[in-house]
Amino acid sequence: MEKNENQFSGGRRYKNDDITVFWKPSACVHASYCYRELLEVFDPSRRPWVDLNGSTTEKIIEVVNLCPTEALSWKWNDETKNDSVDNDQLNHIKFRRPELMNVNDPDSKEQPVSVKIMADGPIVLKGNFTLSYNGTKKEVHDSMISICRCGVSDHMPFCDGQHRKAGFIG
Amino acid sequence: MEENKEKKENISQAIIEVIDFGPLKITGNFLLKDLKRDKEESPDEVRLCICGKSANKPYCDESHKK
Repeated sequence: MEKNENQFSGGRRYKNDDITVFWKPSACVHASYCYRELLEVFDPSRRPWVDLNGSTTEKIIEVVNLCPTEALSWKWNDETKNDSVDNDQLNHIKFRRPELMNVNDPDSKEQPVSVKIMADGPIVLKGNFTLSYNGTKKEVHDSMISICRCGVSDHMPFCDGQHRKAGFIG
Repeated sequence: MEENKEKKENISQAIIEVIDFGPLKITGNFLLKDLKRDKEESPDEVRLCICGKSANKPYCDESHKK
């Protein structure tokens, strides 16, 4: 029974006294801000990999807000608090660090594509660009993808998070 | 005049190409940030290693051919 309580469609949820953190694995691009900033809470080698007892609510919120995708999100357990900050309780995008998100920027189409080499991790691409691979070409609009840099991924050319297990340095 | 405009539009778009058995080639308008080596640059073109073998990461050094 308890197991069901921790699941929602597309992911899992984790609770402490103040907040619930939502984890949607399909949205993850393995940018790895979460475990680099707060391994006590987000440890990919542990099961379950999220342990909200590992830090304070304040710090957990700060690190969840660093997640550049919707893979990690959070809300207050006290629903009235959510109403006062944002109606869309699963998507606290307004809280995210603006320098990482560039949200609601009308000039975003003119902006250069962001190409980030993650330390010992993938290449994270963000913005509007043309992506071609395996003979296919597709237009990517205002979104984010990550390209494997270690050569170990099972979903080439995309990162599937295996660089960590493989011990990739570079 | 017309030609210039077209050129500008082309530049504002980035093309990201995974070369078969090779590197990731990026051309156009992009900003490269290397978080490991704390470097930032915006060249017209870059070839990034995606095989894991380069001795000059994040760039390709043709090691994938070995």
